Amino acid sequence: MDKKLKETILNPIFKGNPISVLVLGICSSLAVTVELKGAFVMALSVTIVTGLSSLVCSLIRKSIPNRVRIIIQLVVVALMVILVDQVLKAYAYGIDKQLSVYIGLIITNCIVMGRIEAYALSNKPWPSLLDGLSNGIGYGMILIVVAFFRELLGSGTLFGFRVIPECFYAAGYMNNGLVILPPMALILLGCIIWIQRSIQKDLQEK
Amino acid sequence: MNTNNNVYTVVYTTVVCVLVAAILAFVSQSLKAKQEANEKAENISQILTAAQFGEKSHWSEIGNDATIAFYTENIEAALLVNAKGEICGELEGDNVYSVSDLKKQNYAIRDNAEMALPFYIFKNGTSAIAIYGAGLWGPVWGYIALEGDLKTIAGAYFDHESETPGLGGKIKDDPAFRAQFSGKVVDYADEAAPFAIVKGGAGDKANAIDAITGATMTSKGVDAAINNWLKAYEPAIFAAASCCSGNCEECCGECAEGECTECTECAECETKANEEE
Amino acid sequence: MELISLFVKSIFVDNMIFSYFLGMCSYLAVSKNVKTANGLGVAVIGVLLITLPVNYLLNKYVLMPGALSWLGEGFANVDLSFLAFIVFIAVIAAITQVVEMVVEKFAPTLYSSLGIYLPLIAVNCAILGGSLFMQQRDFANVGESAVYALGSGIGWWLAIVALAAIREKLSYSNVPAPLKGLGITFFTVGLMGIAFMAFMGISL
Repeated sequence: MDKKLKETILNPIFKGNPISVLVLGICSSLAVTVELKGAFVMALSVTIVTGLSSLVCSLIRKSIPNRVRIIIQLVVVALMVILVDQVLKAYAYGIDKQLSVYIGLIITNCIVMGRIEAYALSNKPWPSLLDGLSNGIGYGMILIVVAFFRELLGSGTLFGFRVIPECFYAAGYMNNGLVILPPMALILLGCIIWIQRSIQKDLQEK
Repeated sequence: MNTNNNVYTVVYTTVVCVLVAAILAFVSQSLKAKQEANEKAENISQILTAAQFGEKSHWSEIGNDATIAFYTENIEAALLVNAKGEICGELEGDNVYSVSDLKKQNYAIRDNAEMALPFYIFKNGTSAIAIYGAGLWGPVWGYIALEGDLKTIAGAYFDHESETPGLGGKIKDDPAFRAQFSGKVVDYADEAAPFAIVKGGAGDKANAIDAITGATMTSKGVDAAINNWLKAYEPAIFAAASCCSGNCEECCGECAEGECTECTECAECETKANEEE
Repeated sequence: MELISLFVKSIFVDNMIFSYFLGMCSYLAVSKNVKTANGLGVAVIGVLLITLPVNYLLNKYVLMPGALSWLGEGFANVDLSFLAFIVFIAVIAAITQVVEMVVEKFAPTLYSSLGIYLPLIAVNCAILGGSLFMQQRDFANVGESAVYALGSGIGWWLAIVALAAIREKLSYSNVPAPLKGLGITFFTVGLMGIAFMAFMGISL
C-alpha cells in the first residue's frame, strides 16, 4: 500500500478525527451516547453510509454542476439511507426497528456531507471510499468511549448488563443522573479533547 | 464540458430528482406488501405483549404467521367504539389498527370529531386499548391491557418512532418501565388525570408510576397520550363495565334477580327498577 | 396571544441548541468571534424562516396521506409521506444554496470566514429538526409555522452570539494549553446547557 493511501486511512482516526479535531457530527454524538448499544449501531451505520456516499459522489463528481452540488450530494445521501431503510423494513424488520430511530440523524450527520465536500469531490473513488470509511471509524471510536462512561456512570450498566454490583447501591452508591443529560456529553467530549491534545501537542490551539 | 452552464444545471438537477423519486417510488411500491405484512404482525405482537401473552421477543422468535394465528385463536372480539360508548363496528379476523389508523383517531380525539377506537377483547377476559400521542421527537403509541374489571391494568407496551435511545427510547426498551404498569388501577374519578406518570415519587399511589430519568418530554408525552385516550375510551369502558350494556342475561345474573336497581342502561333493568319502586 | 407564547417558548424553553442540542457542529466551529457568529446566526434565521413555511405547505398539500385531494377525488388516497424526508432535505438544500450565492455576492468577507460551514447549513440539524418538529406539531396555519421558525431561529442566533461573546473574553484567560480553543468551548457549552435547563418545563 502506498504512503498516501495509508495516510488517508489513518489520519481521520487520530490526527484529523472528525469529532475532536474537525468538529463534525456533534449533535448525533450527544443523542446516541447514553448507552453503548445505540452508539455501536450508530457508529456502524454512519461508517457504511459515509463510505458509500463518498464513493457515489466521487464517481459522479465531474458531472455535478457546482452551483447545485449541495442538493445533489444531499439527495444522494438521503437516497442511500432511505433505500437501506426500505429494504430492511421488508426483509429484516427487527433490525430496521432498531435502526429507524437513527435515520434522520444519519442523513443530517455533518460528517457525511463534510467528507463529500472536503474530500470526495476532488478525489478518485477508491481513496474516497477509504476516506469515508475511516472517518466513520474515527467518529465511532469517540462515540463508544463517551457512551462507555455515560452508561457506566449514568445507569451502572454496560450493553444493558449490570456491572456495578447491587451491594454498592446498598452501601449508598447512586447512579449519576447528570451524566445521562446531554450537557455532560459535551463535558466528556471536552475531557477527551483535553487528553488527546496533551498527547498530540501539535493540535493545540494558540 | 462546461458544467456551470445554466441549461446543463437545470437539466442535470431535474434528471437527478426524477430519477431519485422514481427509484424511491418503485422500491416503496414493490416492497409495500412485504412491509405491510411485517407491520401487521408487529402491531399484533405489541397488543399480545401488552395483554401479557408473552414477552415481545417471543413473538419475533415464532415468526409472523404463528403470531397472527395465536391472535386469531385468542381474540374474542375486536370492537370499534365511539365517544358515546357505543359499538360502531368490528375488525374482522386478524385485522388490527395500524399505527397510521391510530394517528387518524388521535386527530379525531383532538378535534372531538367522529371516532372509532379499537377495543380488543380476548377470550381470557383481558382487553386491550390503544394510545397515541407525541413524544419528544416524534409520535409515541402503545397498548394498555385491562383486566376483567376494566380498571386494573394487566400490562402495557409502548413503541415510538424516533425517541432518543437510552432515554425516551426506554418506554419501549426498558422492561422495568413497562413492569410498573401491571397491577396499577385507573382512577376514573380523577377527572384531570385518570392515570399519571410523575417525576420521582409515584410512591404507593395506585394510579401513578415513575417517569424515566432524563426523558421528561417523552414521559410527559406518554402521560398525555394515556390520559387523552383513556378519557375518550371512558364512556365505552363504563358501558362495558356497568352491569348491563344491552344484554342483561349475559352480563350479570343480578338483573334477572331484580337486584340491579341502579342500572338504567338497558330497558329490561329499567322496568325492573321501576317495578321495585 | 397564542402566537406570542409560541414565539417566546421557541426562543427560550424549546431552544434549539440548549434543549434539543441541534445544529451543534457549526455552532461550535463558527463561534470564535461575535461578528461571524452574528452572520451565521442571521443566515440560520433566514433559512429557517423560508424553509419552514415552504415545507409546511408541501407537507399539507402534497405529502400527507390524502393531502392531494385538492387535485380531485382520485387522489384522495395517495400517500406520499415516504418522500417527506427527501423533499424536506431538498428544499433546505436548495434554499441554502441560494443563501450561499447571495452571501458570496454581497458579503464576500463573511463568505470566506464562514468557509465550509455555510454549505453545511444544509445539514445543520437545527433546520431539518425545525421541519420535523413542525410536521409533528401539526401547526394550524402557515403563520404559526413562520412564527415558530422565527422563534427557533432567534433562539439559535442568541445562543451562538452568547457563546461567541464568552469565547472572545475567554481568549484573555489562562486556559491550560491542551484545552485552549475547542476543549474549553465544549466545557462552556456544557455549563451553558445546564444553566438553560432552568427553562425546562416552564409552560406558557
